[in-house]
Amino acid sequence: MAGPVVGVIANPVSARDIRRVIAHAGSLQVTDRANIVLRILAGLAAVGIRQVVMMPENAGIRTHLARAMMRAKNTGEARFPDLSFLDMKVTGQAADSAIAARMMRKLEVAAIIVLGGDGTHRVVVSECGDIPIAGVSSGTNNAFPDTREPTVTGLGVGLAVTGVVPASAAFVANKRLEVVINGRREIALVDVAIVEERFVGSRAIWKTEGFRELFVTFAEPGGIGMSSIVGFLAPVKRSSPYGRRVIFARRDSAPTLLMAPIAPGLIEPVGVERIETIDLDKPMPLTVSAGSIALDGEREVTFSEVDSISVTLRNAAFRTIDIAACMAHAAAQGSFVEPVGKQENRQQGGCQ
Amino acid sequence: MSENAFPLSKDKLLEAYRIMRTIREFEERLHVDFARGDIPGFVHLYAGEEATAAGIMMHLNDNDRIASTHRGHGHCIAKGVDVKEMMAEIYGKVTGSCRGKGGSMHIADLSKGMMGANGILGAGAPLACGAALAAQKLGHKGVGICFVGDGASNQGMFLESLNLAAVWNLPAIFVVENNGYAESTSVEWAVASDSYVDRATGFGLPGITVDGTDFFAVYEAAGEIIKRAREGGGPSLLECKMVRFHGHFEGDAQTYRAKGELEDIRANNDCIKLFQARVREAGLLSAAEMERIDGAVARLIDEAVAEAKAAALPNARDLLTDVYVGY
Repeated sequence: MAGPVVGVIANPVSARDIRRVIAHAGSLQVTDRANIVLRILAGLAAVGIRQVVMMPENAGIRTHLARAMMRAKNTGEARFPDLSFLDMKVTGQAADSAIAARMMRKLEVAAIIVLGGDGTHRVVVSECGDIPIAGVSSGTNNAFPDTREPTVTGLGVGLAVTGVVPASAAFVANKRLEVVINGRREIALVDVAIVEERFVGSRAIWKTEGFRELFVTFAEPGGIGMSSIVGFLAPVKRSSPYGRRVIFARRDSAPTLLMAPIAPGLIEPVGVERIETIDLDKPMPLTVSAGSIALDGEREVTFSEVDSISVTLRNAAFRTIDIAACMAHAAAQGSFVEPVGKQENRQQGGCQ
Repeated sequence: MSENAFPLSKDKLLEAYRIMRTIREFEERLHVDFARGDIPGFVHLYAGEEATAAGIMMHLNDNDRIASTHRGHGHCIAKGVDVKEMMAEIYGKVTGSCRGKGGSMHIADLSKGMMGANGILGAGAPLACGAALAAQKLGHKGVGICFVGDGASNQGMFLESLNLAAVWNLPAIFVVENNGYAESTSVEWAVASDSYVDRATGFGLPGITVDGTDFFAVYEAAGEIIKRAREGGGPSLLECKMVRFHGHFEGDAQTYRAKGELEDIRANNDCIKLFQARVREAGLLSAAEMERIDGAVARLIDEAVAEAKAAALPNARDLLTDVYVGY
C-alpha cells in the first residue's frame, strides 16, 4: 500500500433530529455532505495521500462521490486519492459510525476524518482507540469539532500523517468523561448532562426545567450547547487538567440565572445552584437518583434508584489533529511554496 | 421525580398501550382470517408499526383530520374509529363504517377526523393540505396530517403538497412511514433524493427523523411538531423509521427480505415489547395491568369478528347510495 491510509466517516443519519423543529438547527443535505468529502479528498491528495477508506452508507453519499470522481477521471482531473469502502453491513444508524471506527482501527489507518457534530464524534472516539481524529463540523451541535473549510482539514490531516509536520506539533491529547452504569462504560467528549426525563425519546435535551446536573471536559464562552453554561460562568480550556460540574436549580429560586445557547437557535434561561471544579480520575456519583443521561447533548441512557452510576474525567484519553498547528508548521517550513517553473509539471500529491 | 419526568400520566400510558395492543390484535386476527378465506378484497397489515400511529394520534382531537393510506387500520384505530365497525367494514357488511361498500382501503369516519384510508398512493397529502387550510381559515387550531409510505413519498402530489403547505404556512404534517420497502422494492433503490429530511428542507419546511418503533420518541417529536403547527409555526415532515411484520399485502411471499430478517425484527424491534420493557423498568405500569388490557382487547376483537360474520351483506339496490358525502 502506498503511504498512509486515511479513514473518513460521514454518517448520513447525523443532524436529523428534533432540533430542526424546536430550534433552527441545520439540515445538511446529502449532496452537500458528499461535496464536503470531495473537498477533503482533494486536500488529502494535494499533500500526497493515495488511499482513503470510507464508511459505507446507503443514503447517497457514495453514489454522489462515485459520480463526481468518475467525471473527474473523464476530464483528466486526477486529484482524488483511491477511495474504497469498508466491508460492513449498513444499518442506517449511528452505530454504523462505531463499527466503521472499530474496523479502521483494526486496519491501522493513520487518521480518521469525521463529518458530524458532537454526537458523531463521540461515537467514533468510543471505538477509534489511539487513532487520531480530525473533525469537520457538520452536525447539530458542534462544540467539539472545528469550524473549518474541509479542504484545509484534508490538507492538515495529510501533512500530519505523512510526517511533514512532526507528531509533537500535529497531535493533541484530549480529555473525556467516562460514565459507568452498572459496569458498562459510556463516554462523552464535551458534556454529560443529567436530566429528569426518564425516557430517551427524541434524544435531544432542551427542556431546561428538567436539567439537574452537568459535567464538562471543557467550556468556552463562545461555545454552543450545554457547555456554554459553564463557558459563561467558569470557562475551562481543552488543555486544562480539570473539568467542571454544575448543579442546576429551579429558575425561581436559583442563586444564578443565566441565559445560555443550550442548542443551535435556542437561548434559554437556566438556573444554576453552583459550579465545582472536578479533578482527573476521580469517580463521582450523581446527585439525583433517577432520570436520563445525555451524552454530548443527546439522551442515551435512562436510570433509576437501582442503578449504580459514576462519572470520571480522564486526561489524554484520545488524540485529535491540530489542523491550525499543522498548517502553521507547514507554512513556516515553506511546504506549499513550489519552485519557479515547476508549476506546470505538478503531480498529484506534490507537497514538497 | 417531578411530573415532567415522563411525558404521559399513568392513564395515558395505559391508553397508549391499549391502542397499540388493539391494533396488533386486530391485524394478527385479520392475518389468520384472511388466509382462511373469510375476508373479501384485500388487506395490508399495520402490525409492527403501532408505536407511530399511537404516538402521533394521542396528541389529536376530533377537530384534527388525518388522511391515511392503503395500510390504514392502525391509523383508524388510533384516531378512535369504532373497532367493530371497522371489522364489519373489512368483512363487507352493512354494519361497517362505510356500510360494507368501502372495505379495508376506504375506512373513514369524519366524525372522528378520519378522512379515510386511501388506495391511491400519496393521495392523502393534498387532502391533509385541504384539512389544514380549512383549520387555518376556521381558526380552530386543528391540524391536517397525512401518512405516506416511503414509496408513496415519491408521488408528485406528495411533493406538490409539501410546496403548497410551505407557501401557505398550513398547519399540515407529513408523516413518512418508512418501513424500508415500497411494496417489495427496498427504499435504497427507490428514493432518489436519499433522505426525506432533505426533501422537506428543499421545500422550506423542517424535517426530522425518529425511531418509529420507539413510542416515546414518536410521541415527543409529534407533540412538538403538532404544537408548532397549531400555533401557526407551519408544516413539518416527520420520518418514522419502522418495521412491518407482514408482507406488503396478505399473501405476499416476501422473497425480497433477507434470510432471518423477519425473525430478527420481531425479536428485537417489536414496538410493543419495547414499550412494555420501558414502562415496567421505570415502574410505571405493571405486567398485570398490561395483561388485563391484553385480555380485554382479545375479547373485543373476538366480538368484532363474531358480529361482523353475523351481519348482513349490503343489497344490490344500495349500490349507488352513500357515494357522496354532503357537507
